Amino acid sequence: MKKSLLFLTVAAALQSAEIPKHPRELKYAVVNYQPPKASGYRHKLASGAVAFVVEDHTVPLINISVTMRTGKYLEPAGKTGLAAITGSQMRSGGTKSRPPAKFDDEADLLAAQIGSSIDDVEGGAWLNCMAKDLDAAMILFLEMLRDPGFDGSRLKLAKTQILQALERRNDDSRSIAPREFTRLLRGPRHFSAIQATKASIDGIERQDLVDFHRKYYFPANFVLAVSGDFQTAAMVKRLEEAFSGWTGPREKVPLPTAADFTPAPGVYIVDKDVPQGRVRMGHLGVTVSNPDHLALSVMNGILGGGAFTSRIVSRVRSDEGLAYSSGSVIAHGDFYPGVFSAFFQTKSSTVAQAVTIVREEIDKIRSAPVKQEEFDTEVARAMESLPRRFATASAKAGQFATDYFKGLPEDYWQRYRDRIRELTPAELQRVAQKYLKPDQLLILVVGNAGEILKGNPDKPQYQLSKFGETKRIPLPDPLTMEYR
Amino acid sequence: MRWCVRLSLLLLPLVLCGQNLAVQELELQNGMKVMLLPRPGSGMVAAGWIAKVGSVNEQPGITGISHLFEHMMFKGTHVIGTRNIEEDLRIQLEMDRVKAGLRKEEQALAQRLRLGEIASVKDPKLRTARHQELLAKFEELTRQGRALIVKDEFDRIYTGQGAAGMNAMTSNDITLYFVNLPSNRLELWFWLESDRLMNPVFREFYSERDVVYEERRMSLESTPTGRFMEQFDALFWKSSPYGWPVVGWPSDLDALTREDANDYYARYYAPNNLAACIVGDFEPARAKALAEQYFGRMKRGIREPEPVRTTEVAQIGEQRMTGYADSSPQVMVRYHTVADGHKDEPALRILGNLLSGNTGRLYRSLVLEQQVANMAFAGQGGRKYEGQFSLSGTAKQGKAPEQVEQALYKEIEKLQKEPVPERELQKIKNNLNASQFRQMQADQFLMMRLLMAESNRGWRAIESDAAELQAVTPADIQRVAGKYFSVDNRNVLILYTKPGASGRGKRPAAASQPGGPQ
Repeated sequence: MKKSLLFLTVAAALQSAEIPKHPRELKYAVVNYQPPKASGYRHKLASGAVAFVVEDHTVPLINISVTMRTGKYLEPAGKTGLAAITGSQMRSGGTKSRPPAKFDDEADLLAAQIGSSIDDVEGGAWLNCMAKDLDAAMILFLEMLRDPGFDGSRLKLAKTQILQALERRNDDSRSIAPREFTRLLRGPRHFSAIQATKASIDGIERQDLVDFHRKYYFPANFVLAVSGDFQTAAMVKRLEEAFSGWTGPREKVPLPTAADFTPAPGVYIVDKDVPQGRVRMGHLGVTVSNPDHLALSVMNGILGGGAFTSRIVSRVRSDEGLAYSSGSVIAHGDFYPGVFSAFFQTKSSTVAQAVTIVREEIDKIRSAPVKQEEFDTEVARAMESLPRRFATASAKAGQFATDYFKGLPEDYWQRYRDRIRELTPAELQRVAQKYLKPDQLLILVVGNAGEILKGNPDKPQYQLSKFGETKRIPLPDPLTMEYR
Repeated sequence: MRWCVRLSLLLLPLVLCGQNLAVQELELQNGMKVMLLPRPGSGMVAAGWIAKVGSVNEQPGITGISHLFEHMMFKGTHVIGTRNIEEDLRIQLEMDRVKAGLRKEEQALAQRLRLGEIASVKDPKLRTARHQELLAKFEELTRQGRALIVKDEFDRIYTGQGAAGMNAMTSNDITLYFVNLPSNRLELWFWLESDRLMNPVFREFYSERDVVYEERRMSLESTPTGRFMEQFDALFWKSSPYGWPVVGWPSDLDALTREDANDYYARYYAPNNLAACIVGDFEPARAKALAEQYFGRMKRGIREPEPVRTTEVAQIGEQRMTGYADSSPQVMVRYHTVADGHKDEPALRILGNLLSGNTGRLYRSLVLEQQVANMAFAGQGGRKYEGQFSLSGTAKQGKAPEQVEQALYKEIEKLQKEPVPERELQKIKNNLNASQFRQMQADQFLMMRLLMAESNRGWRAIESDAAELQAVTPADIQRVAGKYFSVDNRNVLILYTKPGASGRGKRPAAASQPGGPQ
């Protein structure tokens, strides 16, 4: 209650005030925010699952979200696509006691949202339902999780739909660029770069789904985020009962590993007849356990991550009008090194100019300390983002579960602001010098190669060839993924 | 949209029945409506305002200005974004004069292009000495102007005070500006928003116009079906201004001037054409006082904006368009229906829900049973002045889009002939009821929906629509199915796969050619 009292006092004081000439003259009440501690919401269930349970009665809904350690990285050789298909067919293929149409219909009549998916490095299942329907919805949800039916005709349909999507995988530069960038960065044999083919999809049988599910779906491999309109004790009891008697293999699932690959820097072009070149420039990054990762995030906010207040957006977009979308990201890896990459889309004739500007900005942030004003903005952004992570019950439960799944230290968010406060412009320059490596940049361009290499007749000084020999990447056969 | 984010949730109809929203309303003397919905606990507020103007209010020659204007509203004011406002404005005037001169040169080139004397207006070799001189002058002025600009100060102030998710969006009917900020920074929102509404300066106008052109290239021209959808819209709407894209036609984007923006501002951004809304953790009494103090100082516009005059002429015969795209073969069927809030709209919306989703009729029939399609959707889209109902489907491998088209018509016929079973209807209503609560969860989403509803029929439409949806009967559905889905009212887009597209080595010779299955 302290906070709202303070609020009222300030409100009264400002009521009759004049409108200040500049917003810097505005005064704000001080709020002393403390992030919540996960331990207060954590429940280790007898089945081995860990649940983060956050009660909230604002709307009569309940959310249950389960994350499990599984993923594409665990697919058997030659079965690329199996993980994703298993994830989606758990939901689409009915259960042992309910054929797909009956399951879908019952879920829909309850207005319950039930889903399942498996991506590169994790699996997920979720339920959102009206609190009054929890009993019936939980039965469906648990059946899906524990006893999926993997109906043969639904699997056949899914394979047809996937093959159609594979056929069209070279249609859109939005899907070509990330695929080819990952391949250049991690090498063609890392799981993150291996693509499903017609042969791998054709070879996936129902039994493969059954086996994949059995191997990775058991309570000791689950982390739950539960939030909504319930009493915590009753919900924990319900979860205990739900998973009781379900043991599974209980083998510890291995973690994903890094690629054994050294990327070859240079300029790569995929020829695609569209009016814009889609560009990524980057290299490998660090893991979240690297002590410099927060400094890197703040530095990247100034370089290109902080939208309009960042340098790349300011120059490429608002100064030159070269792109609508531009910027840079530093994604810290949870299990293996992440990626640094700058990106933009610009018309063919100005690709070289925009590449030049981005390269200049990468050099600049390494060679001189950032301005105090830039530093202050990014530090404020980092500090103020903290309350937002925990603003609602579902956000809270989700954040706790994600942190636990990724093995983030328990006191990470408690110490977060102190670690941000320790940063200085000099420190940001140090990490920029250490971790941004201009000589190792992979520059990938997807677009009309002829027009892009021709450049801008009004600005002939900008040439892509200045960044090294350009290598062409052919579009692969969409069904075999052979690069001819 | 000024910045690319996912807002697809907004496309869903919002339903809030049985749950009255405790919105507190305030109408300022200048005609601006303010809506306040306190929801304590989060320490944060979602705040926004809407201008009741969109591309529907434009005319040929200035298409795209609503959206470009949205971008310009982030470029600062007399106070924000400049080191020297007098010098700044002087340079801008000078730039506008040079641009007018350049426009003449470009028009001369355009004339030569029309006569077939030249192949492109962009070739530097074709420019006159005067043209080159003006270009150099313009570049010099840009450089001088840039030295006076405090880059993106508007963003920097908000970000430095913990605001996040600041953005704006433009549609056919509205323009909406929004941000999330810590509760204790509420006054900052009033300060910055009232300042940019009262004293905007459209600096960096011409480079931002180029940014918008890149947005057009990205969202429309570089996607597999973007240009087809744009031209299908233009075909579908014959007289209505809904026929041009929100982002604008390319020729207009090349020609919009700062003067156009000034006229537009005077006409549509007066407080009597605006509404504001705050949802979240705040004291309503204080917010009211701040609204009076900050928004209350704006002057009412000289004239009330007039509703759009041009309505859609009745369609008198089926229209069809076919094309070849880098995509799977697909079909879209579209009918003219009714505007947002028409008494037939609830039944049309439920009809769309009956057809869509994984337990909907299209998926069950076209995908699972007949196996002619791999995906299919349908839905009613009511806008302020007109409305349409669309059905679409992607053909399964080996099937033709025409087969999907026929299967879509069969589903409509079924709805015309047989009443919908009660249980099926109940399923839809249960989902609408649950979505009422799902859509109340996020402050920002609720704030935006309140503003959108307010911009047309008033925010209470959110509540009354929900009640009307629950009251729809099988007879209502049968009646609207019979009324709107006639052949003469139909528009059909068929897309075949472009031969040789997308790097496939050996294509089957007869791959998805018109006129039948492969």
